[in-house]
Amino acid sequence: MSIILVGMNHKTAPLTIRERLSLSCDSADVPLRKLKQISQISEALYLATCNRVEVLAHLEDREGGVEELKKFILSHGNLSLEELRSCLYVYRDDDAVRHLFRVASSLDSMIMGEPQILGQVKDAYRQCVEYKASGIILNKLLHHTFRVAKRVRTETGIANNAVSVSFAAVALAKKIFGFLAGKSVLVIGAGEMSELAARHLMANGVNRIIVANRTYENAVRLANDFHGEPIGLDLLDEKLNEVDIVISSTAAPGYVITPEVVVSALRRRKNRLMFMIDIAVPRDIDPAVGDIDNVYLYNIDNLQEIVDDNMKVRLKEAEKAETIITEEIIIFSNWLSTLEVVPTIVSLRRKAEDIIAGELERSGAWMKNLSDDDRDKVKIIASSIVNKILHDPITSLKEESLNGGADPYVAAMMRLFKLGHDE
Amino acid sequence: MEMIIFKSALIAYFVSTVGYIASILVRRVFMAKAATWVLFFAFILYGAFIAVRWVKAGYSPVVHLHDSLSFIGWAISGIYLAFQMKTKTRVLGSIVSPLAFFLIMEASASGGLVREMILPDILKGWWVSAHTILALIGEALFALACCAGIMYLIQDNLIRKKKSYSFSRLLPPLRDLDRINHICILWGFPLLTLGIIAGSIWARTVWGSHWQWDPKQVGTMISWILYAFLLHQRLAIGWKGRKAALFSIVAFGILMVAVIGVNLFSVTVHRFV
Repeated sequence: MSIILVGMNHKTAPLTIRERLSLSCDSADVPLRKLKQISQISEALYLATCNRVEVLAHLEDREGGVEELKKFILSHGNLSLEELRSCLYVYRDDDAVRHLFRVASSLDSMIMGEPQILGQVKDAYRQCVEYKASGIILNKLLHHTFRVAKRVRTETGIANNAVSVSFAAVALAKKIFGFLAGKSVLVIGAGEMSELAARHLMANGVNRIIVANRTYENAVRLANDFHGEPIGLDLLDEKLNEVDIVISSTAAPGYVITPEVVVSALRRRKNRLMFMIDIAVPRDIDPAVGDIDNVYLYNIDNLQEIVDDNMKVRLKEAEKAETIITEEIIIFSNWLSTLEVVPTIVSLRRKAEDIIAGELERSGAWMKNLSDDDRDKVKIIASSIVNKILHDPITSLKEESLNGGADPYVAAMMRLFKLGHDE
Repeated sequence: MEMIIFKSALIAYFVSTVGYIASILVRRVFMAKAATWVLFFAFILYGAFIAVRWVKAGYSPVVHLHDSLSFIGWAISGIYLAFQMKTKTRVLGSIVSPLAFFLIMEASASGGLVREMILPDILKGWWVSAHTILALIGEALFALACCAGIMYLIQDNLIRKKKSYSFSRLLPPLRDLDRINHICILWGFPLLTLGIIAGSIWARTVWGSHWQWDPKQVGTMISWILYAFLLHQRLAIGWKGRKAALFSIVAFGILMVAVIGVNLFSVTVHRFV
């Protein structure tokens, strides 16, 4: 019995190879079906995301199956042997469990702490259950994995702070405004980053968006994307009092927003708080605006610095997460090792129960003379004697399995009690 | 019976204080949630304690300085709980709960609550009760406004420093803090005003005049004027944020000097027992 994990991720394989692999899994032939055909594999999970392709399998036999798994990946992605060798990793047993825990906890992700991967692992498991490719071991392992991922998320700060500029902007807006529902945002100029920030803000509840551009046509085009209202730059000063958040990224050489304009806008909006983000180089918003009460001004460097700091925090938190994972691996492998002796215990119990049932039946004749009450008592005595006798050997067997030395005891038990697993 | 209620209230305040502080240290929301419930029970228990004392004595039990302080502690926790239902600002509880615990504990440690209440008859009237209780609830609201104001200044400062501070995550958003500050002053001001009016009506019957130029009266009046000004600026001019927060902190400081400081350190006709 062995757990094995074969796969490649963004660290080991270049995009082109990952691409070919994950493309082929969209084809009608579900990889799980093929995996199940490999005879040594008794359970399998197939996980494919844009950053990784992994197969987790439970092999009946320690030795066989690995080459078949590699071959499966080789043929599945139309890879050459050379390519395969350089990117593939193979983990066994505790290492495989550790890798799975790390993946689900987002420690192995390109952006550490990102939340999507857990959902992807859950989807992979759902598919695995659908195709009946999971059994007792993978079921237990995956549920344990989800628990570990949750523990890591709640007990460490790995996902706490924003690690992209646009998320950092959203986090700041929340710190200022609380809920963003009902807030409005003004996007000045076009640019990938400002669009992204605007989208994140809208995803977090901002429901009104004004798009300003030097050329009105561009404003209209962008506004259509966001279902926002377009304005020309000439209306900027007038509209400024209507918005809570400003994102500016024009290519203008001078300042587009001056302190005077902001002060006047604030007066008109009765000093309601404003959050301004200047992602343009050279800057669009006069830095003096940041000194005005009730206005919070951040430029691209400020945001980047926050992101860098947060990344450092995440790396520190990741160490805590590794400790949690190490703890959990021990719990899981303990369970796994008791699993070895479970069939023996089950058949031992069954044999004892059969004996009790047989003896009671044979004694049926004289037991007829007893009252119902006494008959029940006899049955209880019989089974409690048997349970007492079996109790010590069973606990000892479990203890030995935790130390990893159960094999000779299992063999002895089978010989002495004449047990067979297939009874 | 009385003391059992009091002690269980004190224990509940203590437990909720520990819960709030622990929730900040280990960053767990469920602990703060539990602490909020415990605080709720503490509030009910202490409320029951006040009621029992009131019924037993036949007049308002809020007379001594210590009674007043513990009453403020109780009122603050009640006001905070009311806010907690509207806005999710549990971190405020980690200030309110220890504060209430400390005030009530101080009152019991000084023996103020156990001592038999021997009151001159002039202090047993309804006007005195109305005066003290209205003014104290007003002061409790101002205290909470001051707390929110301090937190506002800290959070504002952290955001302006443009660094990633994990401490800042613990503080509520600026807008919520500003609203708490505003609402507390909006309610506290009329209560304090009514309290002052009730007091002056009573003073007329006892001292013969509404106004004595007593240091406590003067101090209270100064902070009343400050709060009136702040409220006007907020409602008419649209003051918000830092300026309003700062102002509410200063006004509360003066109010505290008038209410407690004057009692302790200067000669005042406004001290009775």
